[in-house]
Amino acid sequence: MMTNLLAARAQMGTSLAFHIIFSALGVGLPLLLCIAEGLALKTRNPTWMMLTRRWARASAILFAIGAVSGTILSFELGLLWPTYTKYAGAVVGLPFLLEGFAFFTEAIFLGLYLYGWDRLSQRAHWLCSFPIWISGLASAWFIVSANSWMNTPAGFIFNKQTGQISDINPLQAMFNPSTPYETIHMMLACYVATGFAVAAVYATGLLRGKRDDYHRKGLIVAMAMALIATPLQIVSGDFNARFLAQYQPVKFAAMEGVFQTESGPPLKIGGLADPATGQVYYALEIPHGLSLLLGTDAPIKGLNEVPRDLWPNATIVHSSFDGMVASGFFVLLVALVFWLLYWRKKRVVPENRVVLWGIVVSGPLAFLAIELGWMVTEFGRQPWVIYHVLLTKDAATTAPWLNISFLVFSVIYILLSIALIWLLLRVARAPLPKITAGLQLQESEKVGV
Amino acid sequence: MSVAFLALIILWWALIAYAVLGGADFGAGIWDLFAVGRLAQRQRQLINHALGPVWEANHTWLIFLIVGLFTIFPVAFAALSIALFIPFTIALIGIVLRGAAFIFRYYATDEHGPFARWWSRVFSATSLLTPFFLGASAAAVASGHLLDDSGSPHADMIASWTSPFALTIGAMAAALCASLAAVYLTVEAQAAKDEELTESYRMKALIAGAITSGLGALGLLLSISEAPLLWAGMLQRAIPIVVITMAIGLATAAALFFRRYSIARPLIVAEAAFLLGSWGLSQYPFIIPPQLTIANAANEPGVIVTVLIAIGCGLVILVPSLYYLFSVFKLPSSPAPGLRKEGKEQRKAEAQAQKQ
Repeated sequence: MMTNLLAARAQMGTSLAFHIIFSALGVGLPLLLCIAEGLALKTRNPTWMMLTRRWARASAILFAIGAVSGTILSFELGLLWPTYTKYAGAVVGLPFLLEGFAFFTEAIFLGLYLYGWDRLSQRAHWLCSFPIWISGLASAWFIVSANSWMNTPAGFIFNKQTGQISDINPLQAMFNPSTPYETIHMMLACYVATGFAVAAVYATGLLRGKRDDYHRKGLIVAMAMALIATPLQIVSGDFNARFLAQYQPVKFAAMEGVFQTESGPPLKIGGLADPATGQVYYALEIPHGLSLLLGTDAPIKGLNEVPRDLWPNATIVHSSFDGMVASGFFVLLVALVFWLLYWRKKRVVPENRVVLWGIVVSGPLAFLAIELGWMVTEFGRQPWVIYHVLLTKDAATTAPWLNISFLVFSVIYILLSIALIWLLLRVARAPLPKITAGLQLQESEKVGV
Repeated sequence: MSVAFLALIILWWALIAYAVLGGADFGAGIWDLFAVGRLAQRQRQLINHALGPVWEANHTWLIFLIVGLFTIFPVAFAALSIALFIPFTIALIGIVLRGAAFIFRYYATDEHGPFARWWSRVFSATSLLTPFFLGASAAAVASGHLLDDSGSPHADMIASWTSPFALTIGAMAAALCASLAAVYLTVEAQAAKDEELTESYRMKALIAGAITSGLGALGLLLSISEAPLLWAGMLQRAIPIVVITMAIGLATAAALFFRRYSIARPLIVAEAAFLLGSWGLSQYPFIIPPQLTIANAANEPGVIVTVLIAIGCGLVILVPSLYYLFSVFKLPSSPAPGLRKEGKEQRKAEAQAQKQ
């Protein structure tokens, strides 16, 4: 049996890991829909409309799961961490509320978009996709700004003796020091992951010999999104690392496996960080690499700067961090090779098997990078839930039965995943929608197809 | 009037919106449970058609309520989350499975296959479960027995939401959802020119309405002993509202009886609004009676002012968007911009051109 604290953390972690997949797609897919439908209306090419219709159908299913799994999280804040909500609600409720509005707008226009094919004019229908991707992006910004606040709390005065907070400034809390770094990193991550995930679907099709215009167009538009977002994401990652070195040195030390404060530490790539011995085993070490990356000669703070019981789990944080970075560079390489071949072949979609396989692998890897990145953020902040204000163990609920609750929600997630994958595969194998020259769906199929 | 009270009024309106919109979606699921026999297939299609475009937006009122409560009354939110851990968890499971099940069955490639049938059952069962537990939770709050004598919440103090009063109100909540849905579906069936379904839902609306009012009367009687604070508050402030609620209930029944469905729809909405309004008035000034009041549970006034401004800005975007959504799908007579002109004829012409 798990302790209540561990069960609460496990349930929260599972819920976040599940939800983040759908929220990333919820930010990325609407932009792809908007682009594809815009291209359809501009070029009058039915293939673009076929792609739009197909993605809309998958989106309807994915967004519904995103909406309900997000609801789980908003309940769980209270159900699992009631003490956290007393602080967070008081100080940083504003971005949660604004996220609520953004989500509301998204849900309204999704309803119009997904079910309004027959009721709206083509132009009005296309225009409905704009509020969806804009509010999707906005909700990502709002919710991540709340998480940023947990990392660099701001906008209130905390009395350590009484545990009371006062002089709350919600705007300062929302625009806390981490906000610009974390929010941009997550917003870009959504586009990288969605781009590669969609590209992976069409690369799979091409590998299976479906070498037609439909698959090439699907691949090219998704890869375009990936190509623009991925290099920016790498740059954003670098900004984040520099920021963390300054504002959350403990997290940074765990990420880089720095146990002792030292000047000019090596960059430790890979390996296993062992807190018991203070070593990173099997790592590839580049002398002075870390200082070079940060561009500083100042000593880098190690985990030894804080008492042992305030260390995050360095093994998980270091490995997750390296896994994220490795995935990021791999997908960047794939995107660059793809586009290099594309331009060298004078704008013909490369159908090189190695490149296509690279894209197929990049889809899941890009999502893995998101999951690992969140593990760095969340595990790296431990044992604090609100950095230097509230310990995770003090935030957990007093309700018993958390083991059962964790078990029940795990079963629900497994059940939903199986049903979802089964249904999406069925939808993917269904015959392609037939689009007329007027860009309409030919057969009178079910509304919302 | 304090800013916290003003904020609470806004939250109460959101609660009403959730009840009349989200509640009706649960109600539709409840009717799905009773959809058997010859009409079953057409009923399911009508429900799919009615819910598809709007259920996610309707569901968002709940999110708004949660984050609003969390921001404006953080202490109350924390206490509710502990004291109502079990009913909230069950309702949450219901909400999650309901949404997922609806979309799974809607998009199932084989409408009659086991996948669609199985999720259809999940959809209707959870549609019944969720409003029941939300209603019971609301009654537990109103009863004044949610927290212990020192004002602390305990997840294992289950008496508050398993009392006869709470169970009655839970059942009434489910019945109210069913009545709302039945009235809306009568209107939708009439718009779809399906006379048989219209009559069927009219009957269901009358029955569900009668059950709701019966359970409501029982709840009111039980509140004398089980929720004395609520009862006293009702006698003091809410009697006119309660009388109006009853009158609207009768008027709704009359409108249904005389087949004036376009009148019945706003009436049942008003009925739900007045019902929740009378609860709010009776419970004033408590958030969780008898310990947590508006005054002692509220966030700092400065924060609430910022939040109210944010809500104001949000509503500027939200209200026209919502109006547009409903005018496109639910109010066919309203002249919404961007509607397809002679859409169906155009497609038919195209299809014929293709054939030739």
